[in-house]
Amino acid sequence: MAKLILQWLKFVVLCGTVGAVFEDQVGKFDWRQQYVGKVRFAHFDTHVQSSKKVVVATEKNVFAALNTRTGELFWRHVDKTGSEGNIDALLLQGADAVLVVGNGRLLRSWEVNIGGLNWEILLDSGSFQSACLVGQQDNVKYVAVLKKTVISLHYLSNGHQKWIENLPDSETVDYQAVYSGGNGEVYVLGVVPHSHIAVVVYSVDDGEILKQFSVEAAWLSNIQTSCAVVGKGMLTCVDSTTLSLYMLDLHTQLQMTQLPLQTLGLEVDPGFHPTLVSTQPNAARQPLSEFFLQLGPEHYVLLQLNNGQIVTLRDFKPAMLVSFATTGEKTVAAVMSPKNKTACGLNLFSADTGRRLLDTTLIFNMDPYGGKPETLYVQAFLKKDDSVGYRAIVQTEDHTLTFLQQPGRVMWTREEALSDVVTMEMVDLPLTGTQAELEGEFGKKADGLMSMVLKRLSSQFILLQAWVSHLWKLFYDARKPRSQVKNDVTIENLSRDEFNLQKMMVMVTAIRKPVNCRLHSFCFSSFKLFGIDSKTGTIVWKHYLDNIPSNAAFKLMVQRTTAHFPHPPQCTLLIKDKDTGLATLHVFNPIFGKKSHITPPALPQPILQSLLLPLMDQDYAKVLLLVDDQYKVSAFPSTKNVLQQLQEMASSIFFYLVDSSQGRLSGYRLRTDLSTELIWEVVIPPEIQRIVSVKGKRPNEHVHSQGRVMGDRSVLYKYLNPNLLAIVTESTDSHQERSFVGILLIDGVTGRIIHEAVQRKTKGPVHVVHSENWVVYEYWSTKSRRNEFSVIELYEGMELYNSTVFSSLDRPHAPQVLQQSYIFPSAISTLEATLTEKGITSRHLLIGLPSGGILSLPKMFLDPRRPEIVTEQSREENLIPYAPELPIRTEWYINYNQTISRVRGIYTAPSGLESTCLVVAYGLDIYQTRVYPSKQFDVLKDDYDYMLISSVLFALFFATMISKRLAEVKLLNRAWR
Amino acid sequence: MASPGGQGGGALSTRGGGGAKRMKWALELSLGNTRSRGDRQGGQGDVVYPIGYSEKPVPDTSIQETDKNLVEKRCWDVALGPLKQIPMNLFIMYMSGNTISIFPIMMVCMMAWRPIQALMSMSATFKLLESSSQQWLQGLVYLIGNLLGSALAIYKCQSMGLLPTHSSDWLAFIDPPQRMEIMGGGMVL
Repeated sequence: MAKLILQWLKFVVLCGTVGAVFEDQVGKFDWRQQYVGKVRFAHFDTHVQSSKKVVVATEKNVFAALNTRTGELFWRHVDKTGSEGNIDALLLQGADAVLVVGNGRLLRSWEVNIGGLNWEILLDSGSFQSACLVGQQDNVKYVAVLKKTVISLHYLSNGHQKWIENLPDSETVDYQAVYSGGNGEVYVLGVVPHSHIAVVVYSVDDGEILKQFSVEAAWLSNIQTSCAVVGKGMLTCVDSTTLSLYMLDLHTQLQMTQLPLQTLGLEVDPGFHPTLVSTQPNAARQPLSEFFLQLGPEHYVLLQLNNGQIVTLRDFKPAMLVSFATTGEKTVAAVMSPKNKTACGLNLFSADTGRRLLDTTLIFNMDPYGGKPETLYVQAFLKKDDSVGYRAIVQTEDHTLTFLQQPGRVMWTREEALSDVVTMEMVDLPLTGTQAELEGEFGKKADGLMSMVLKRLSSQFILLQAWVSHLWKLFYDARKPRSQVKNDVTIENLSRDEFNLQKMMVMVTAIRKPVNCRLHSFCFSSFKLFGIDSKTGTIVWKHYLDNIPSNAAFKLMVQRTTAHFPHPPQCTLLIKDKDTGLATLHVFNPIFGKKSHITPPALPQPILQSLLLPLMDQDYAKVLLLVDDQYKVSAFPSTKNVLQQLQEMASSIFFYLVDSSQGRLSGYRLRTDLSTELIWEVVIPPEIQRIVSVKGKRPNEHVHSQGRVMGDRSVLYKYLNPNLLAIVTESTDSHQERSFVGILLIDGVTGRIIHEAVQRKTKGPVHVVHSENWVVYEYWSTKSRRNEFSVIELYEGMELYNSTVFSSLDRPHAPQVLQQSYIFPSAISTLEATLTEKGITSRHLLIGLPSGGILSLPKMFLDPRRPEIVTEQSREENLIPYAPELPIRTEWYINYNQTISRVRGIYTAPSGLESTCLVVAYGLDIYQTRVYPSKQFDVLKDDYDYMLISSVLFALFFATMISKRLAEVKLLNRAWR
Repeated sequence: MASPGGQGGGALSTRGGGGAKRMKWALELSLGNTRSRGDRQGGQGDVVYPIGYSEKPVPDTSIQETDKNLVEKRCWDVALGPLKQIPMNLFIMYMSGNTISIFPIMMVCMMAWRPIQALMSMSATFKLLESSSQQWLQGLVYLIGNLLGSALAIYKCQSMGLLPTHSSDWLAFIDPPQRMEIMGGGMVL
């Protein structure tokens, strides 16, 4: 018997579908884009003249080096998510980048050239405040790390701690900043809010306190936001209430001198908190004595500290952003000022004099669909004639990085918003103009035989013309060297391919703003829409939308596909403010990204849910129903035609609402006057368990086979209830003995509970996929401490109750329920099932793993009919004998070695080929590929030998001709004999 | 080579060479010339048979139209032919087994095709049987034999699972049921 099983397993292994790619197929159907997130710190690598790196640390806890020529990543290190991997500081010294990670938990040094780790040390506990490089005699050797109660000095070469000292009076004094001017002293600056500044001076050599003094400063509350060290150790602060500058010489420790801004002839914009921007080009030397003072949102002043006197060098108004840059001994100030509505000008000014440098103007054209510039990073370099040239990176509000070169050439842009995709859809591309012409011909009303014939002829002629021009282009391109042939994707040449494999990916990305953001998973203050060509990954269009409620939920729907020429396709994004409940609709064309001319209805009432009906109005747009908090329904579009259809259909339109906070599931029926009626309600006590997710079936899912063939050739019919909902609950009690995960299968129309299962001693997060007649979910088993998969399948039995129509209201028999569980050897990040055009192809589960792999697991392995004892019949049915462990085979990774960091979601879409399913995985990276769950049964293989086949055919053809001739000759000869 | 001059008394001879006169053939009518005497097989001395005489007895090939029994027998042979094949077919069926592979399929095809072919050329067979007095009975037997043969083929197909007799064979033709209700919704946004 065991031998038999072994044989059988061998068979399954050999014949099982394999999704691996060949080496020469790498990158042919798939692409990956790597992102880093919003940049928090960026430094140009200047230790080698020819270096083309910019080192960035981001809010996504990513540390990376970008190529300044192309914008691609040289290397990237992705740390843990959350505060544990948070990058607190980035200091660049030569080829070493020192990072403080996880609120002062770790100190790391990276080698910038190759991205290797030099050293890493664990710091003592304590909340991180500040860090700085410490130098002595033009030689930067140490890094100082200031924490709440302690300051430590570490060697830059190996991270070893030179000394560590407790800060005096750390209970009362809030130490916030550390500064070193390169003279063998480290200054720690602390503040007792609204009382005084405390300064402690340590010796670099042994950590001995050299000096300690405090200075009265009743107005000061935060050093980091309002103070800067300028010139020869002059602590300069700006106060917004008294509108004056305060200066304190750290060496002579005299009184603070107050200098009202009015005496300098400066005026602060009302309500604006002025800030200081200073620069310290070399950590072993003193900071520059020039600094910027920001007086308003678009007003900066360049000031100079000269022998204790403040001199105004230049007034910049309007100026959006300023930055200092140093090359060699020269320091320049870059100022960005608005030019007109769509462009900004960037100019360099000498820091010493405030004079504008010649030929340094750079024009930055702002994307009309983008955000405003937010941060400016400038790299200055000396040209051959000793003048200063520069390059700049501009970060805009929509997290776009733009690299600019004089005189305004955009070298590259990176859309870092794409590291935060919230939801996406794939839309078919439109037909080409000529194809559409042909389609349109049949769409129009017939007007006479003759004109139809003429029209047909003319459109055929157009086709012929297009074909000839295509051939000509092919011929023309073939003569050019390959490198010159550009395959740029533009809106003009976007068209559907033969098998509909190329689609438009519409992605909604959230742009988080840390200010005013509560600790909530949905905390966005603006968002950006992207249209990406799925074949190449080129961003075709983008649209930035600001002024979105900070706590919003999104729902993206395709109301009209491209199938209804000449009506443009139409997507609708529902944006709901979670605080007020009010919602707005953003209607746009998914192919061009343009906002639609259709005005969405004003929604005065808070919206609870939306529902896309399969009904269409006369313009072929699907009807969107919006349910408000009075349980009234409004339709969009709401033409007469639609309302009439709705009245006719009202009795068969149902919707359900799930309120997870109250644990209530309720079902409603639509009345003809567009009000609703509660027809069922199920309450899951929220004090025991809470509803985690609700999964219905995908509306575009097709199931080809209505049943499964048994070993005795009878049929086990599937229970294909399109109204079935899978509801996952988790226990509120998180004790590992009492926690559980529950799954509830409920009919959304009648509220009938079809099945209920509880997994004891388990906990979430639960990932669930609901499709066809099965539900697969994954959870953590606290008892056995492992990840487990469970599958539920529903069958009607050996007979169909009603084979022509399915009505939830008429289902007297409960379905048969089968369930099995398996052990999965890895944690998972996300779960999705493949989807194909007609549902003939077998299904696979796509599992996003935390390791960055995407596993394509055949659904065959998750089949509750897998037998424990192999029988003749189960073998006939091709059932794999039950084994508790699910295997992970390396050839099942659809993304081979292209790791996708922090996968958050997988989107699947059918293509025009039945065998092919398009897959997009998104997280920190975006990866697009195709999968063939049953192999490519409808396409000839890539390496199909056309030459051999055609040559054999021709050879046979000629052989037939020749032998025929020979036979004739022979017959003739015989006749003559 | 000199051939015997046929059955006739005239000796036909072809000469390869030797003689001064070369001729393709010659009919010797003179008695004096006994050049080819030695060639005569079983020639009795000098007896000369007339032309066209043969020593061997010629079998009697005239049809005995009166022998009815023989015709009957022959016709029965034709009529019983298909029935006689059945045991053979059974044996082949048993030997080929129920697996679906090229040889059993070929066998089954042959087994099914032969009776069908025979049934199609029924009229020709009837013409054969025309002379028999029991023509109708024989025709019936022939028909039954062929029907039995095809039934056997169908049975074989059945046991091999080639006949669409199970509900699973029609599964692919069932259309997905039409949805009566439209339903949607979800978590309160």
